[in-house]
Amino acid sequence: MAGTFGHIFLSAAFVASIAALIAYTLSAYKESKSMERVSDWLWRLKGASLLISSGILIYLIMTHQFQYYYVWNYTSLDLESHYLFSAFYGGQEGSFMLWILCSFVVGLGLIRWTRPPYKAPVMAVMALTQVFLLSMVAGWDLSWMTLGASPFRTIAQEMPNAPFIQANPNFVPADGSGLNDLLKSPWMMIHPPIIFVGFSMMTVPFAFAIASLWTKTYNEWIRPALPWTLAANLCLLTAIFLGGYWAYETLSFGGYWAWDPVENASLVPWMIGTAGIHAMIIQRKSSRAHKAALFLSILAYVAVVYQTFLTRSGVLGAQSVHSFVDLGLYGQLLLFILVMTLMGIGFYIYRYKEIPSPEKESQILSKEFMTFTGSMLLLILGLVIIFGTSSPLIGQFFVDNPTPPEISFYNQWSMPIAIIMAIFTVIGQHLFWRKYTWETLAGAMILPLLLTSAASAISIIAGDVGNISYMIFIFAGWFAVFGNGAILFHLLSRKPKLIGGALNHIGFGVLLLGIIASSVYTEPLLDQRAENYNKRVEAGTVFDEEGFPVTQPVEMFELQIDQPKLVNDRWMVTYEGFDVSNAPRPGQQSYRVKFEPIDGGRSFYVDPVVYPMLTTSSQANVEWSVDPHVRTGIFEDIYFYVAGSKYVEKENERVSEQSQMMPVSGVQTAEQDTAQTVEIARGEIIEAGDFSLQFIDFRPATEEQLPENTQVGIRALVRVEHTPSGSAYEIEPLFAVYTENERSFTYSPPLTIDAWDMDLKFTRLLPESESIEISIDGPINDFEEDWVLVVAETKPFVSVVWFGTFLLMAGFSVSIFRHWSREKQTQNDFIDDEDDELEDISQA
Amino acid sequence: MNFKLILGITSIVLFTSLLMYNFGNSIDSYVNFEQAENRGSAHVVGSWDNTQEWGFSRETMRFTFYMKDEDGNVRRVIYPKPKPNNFEQATQLVVIGEMRNDVFFANDMLMKCPSKYNDADEAEFTQAEQG
Repeated sequence: MAGTFGHIFLSAAFVASIAALIAYTLSAYKESKSMERVSDWLWRLKGASLLISSGILIYLIMTHQFQYYYVWNYTSLDLESHYLFSAFYGGQEGSFMLWILCSFVVGLGLIRWTRPPYKAPVMAVMALTQVFLLSMVAGWDLSWMTLGASPFRTIAQEMPNAPFIQANPNFVPADGSGLNDLLKSPWMMIHPPIIFVGFSMMTVPFAFAIASLWTKTYNEWIRPALPWTLAANLCLLTAIFLGGYWAYETLSFGGYWAWDPVENASLVPWMIGTAGIHAMIIQRKSSRAHKAALFLSILAYVAVVYQTFLTRSGVLGAQSVHSFVDLGLYGQLLLFILVMTLMGIGFYIYRYKEIPSPEKESQILSKEFMTFTGSMLLLILGLVIIFGTSSPLIGQFFVDNPTPPEISFYNQWSMPIAIIMAIFTVIGQHLFWRKYTWETLAGAMILPLLLTSAASAISIIAGDVGNISYMIFIFAGWFAVFGNGAILFHLLSRKPKLIGGALNHIGFGVLLLGIIASSVYTEPLLDQRAENYNKRVEAGTVFDEEGFPVTQPVEMFELQIDQPKLVNDRWMVTYEGFDVSNAPRPGQQSYRVKFEPIDGGRSFYVDPVVYPMLTTSSQANVEWSVDPHVRTGIFEDIYFYVAGSKYVEKENERVSEQSQMMPVSGVQTAEQDTAQTVEIARGEIIEAGDFSLQFIDFRPATEEQLPENTQVGIRALVRVEHTPSGSAYEIEPLFAVYTENERSFTYSPPLTIDAWDMDLKFTRLLPESESIEISIDGPINDFEEDWVLVVAETKPFVSVVWFGTFLLMAGFSVSIFRHWSREKQTQNDFIDDEDDELEDISQA
Repeated sequence: MNFKLILGITSIVLFTSLLMYNFGNSIDSYVNFEQAENRGSAHVVGSWDNTQEWGFSRETMRFTFYMKDEDGNVRRVIYPKPKPNNFEQATQLVVIGEMRNDVFFANDMLMKCPSKYNDADEAEFTQAEQG
């Protein structure tokens, strides 16, 4: 019932967005104020119905109404309430709704702040994008096609032919299929809202660019558009960071970046947006690059829509780890991207001749040239990445059945481009604040170059860098840090509000250094056995069963409980056991592994987790997932996960035995009594299987542990040792004889050694020989000590990657405030102190 | 002006052809085991042949199984990592590596796993390393 209302309100929002589109277009066309006010109300009406239908969807999720497909597919009864809330945008349909909601709020901001003549055309474009997005979730059943997939459709509507629906059309599942365990992370709760705020804001420069082409006013639009673009970029950067951090912490890929299509899809709009920001800044300061600013603003949004198309249409299905479920929206998404591209690029070409262009070429040594080059480099890199990501489409022109490009494709292109960019940031930033000739510029570069050379030399020697292109890369990174650092130094004391750009470019340099250190110098943790094996593999002296040389090195090692192993010649690593608990995930095991540095530093623990993935496990097969432990440090991270353990193996055996067990009557399949008894005299040591038992002495038994009417009560101190490993326990089992109803009974409570899954009982006392009888129940012959299989790596300077990202975020934030306050005060006599040069910048 | 135009066009042509060349080299076709025999790195699509011996050996630290490619060729695959956890449920496997002497040495493995209850279009790919 509530779902019907949700569907009605969602449809109303769709209709209202169409009405708003028409109304805004008319008011832009007629330049009518009253029409514009009507349009604003239509926009708000659309927002209100959207909010109501979102509220209904959240209500359905919170009240577990599993007859709705979306609720059933993404939630379950045991989900904590904050994850229930985030399940609202956990699926394809809900994430579209979140995007629309964010765009609605951005639209409210534009209604409030945008000046004429841009307001109506900007809002018309915003409304057009809303029409497209809302059509993805409208769920209208037109006779020839279904328009969008509604989050309010029921299971019966989703699977009308399923047998259980045919049998009972009102079927309501008892529980949902649940949220993917990997997504149960606080990072994944905040990642989607931030990325959709970023996408929504990225619509704004696009809308302003169209409005500028529409109204033929090519100069003013960048002033209001610039802060929005900066904010969009800040959001995308934050979202990329969160996604990378989540992947690093949660998945066992072993890194924060894998050039996965979905990651690329959020990186490319950011790069093109940044390119657009550079063009806008040249246009604002020097009245040049009008064409580039328009073109890049259009392209940044087209890139957003294109990435939406790639990840949501199912094109990438075979290539990406986390593409969305295909909802049959291919046609609608294709139309969306085509309309946006044709409208943007077509309008741009149509007006191309009218857009102002500079009378004379700019000199090479000018801020315009340098900034413009930076912008173009960003664009080129963005296009290369789009190209690689589109391999399922573009690759067909090269080969049949194309595979994704190798990772090296991305690295080979991004490395040289990043090196050139790093050098241009320094020269560009210097020229941005002062005029230089080649000679004075060379003078200003002396100190940064000295520092750069020193830092590069130290890094290259300390890191034992042998590869020449890595050396250049490291040099470029340090140069960006020190060259832009000089600018920051001068700005800080004079114009601290203007440090945004300098911070960004330093952050870029820091990021390059962090990326090269953490990705190229990642090393697996290995015990000595694996290290020796890998050396022999390299020498070609290891042969497999068929006598062919083995070429693949081993990148894991095994730890036996309580047996320290020397790892990477740096630590003694000891596995100390595990705990099973039911929180936060049922059946999860947390393993304790101790690291002791052999040079005497402080020891520490890592506790990686393994848990059964309940959403994908079945009765016959448990699917296990790992939660790596990442020990973060300033100089290096230790990344550690358990890839296998005795516990997991035993659980798998148990589950598959259970599922194969037939309920045959009369056949006894239960455990047989495997207990074994040994007699030991005082002081004697007896071997039993892989264990040895030593009866050390008798011990008195305390009164309260004994049954009533006890005649004899005594304990025996027994030392049980696992002979192969040498690990041992001392136990004191109890033996008592008591009378009840004038009959004598013996009392021998079992003692359990958990680590060995072994029960011991003191079953008889033989006073004449001073001996005792011990009964052992457990696997004593083929006993296997607890073990874990470990995959671990050291990654140097991941902290530097995060630090560079934070610097970029800080730089964008400073710039947003600066450009926003200027835009707000633009009608007042705002004195722009950026335009007077920093005369004394070279006095360093 | 003319010189700059020529320079611009030349660099665009150079850039594009270099990109095409590099891209063409870094992508590959999916092949079957027989075609994989005579090339370096290959991507092979197929499914697990669970009638033959398989498992992870803690002795050699390798996971071994038999895979049947889409044309029905069955070969032994050696994967030098722990058994991926969703291996048994995978409806389709992609192994990336080298074929040597009728044995496929996989450096990477992708698994296509069916989600619970649903039909083929909701299948999802997960990387082997994903625990």
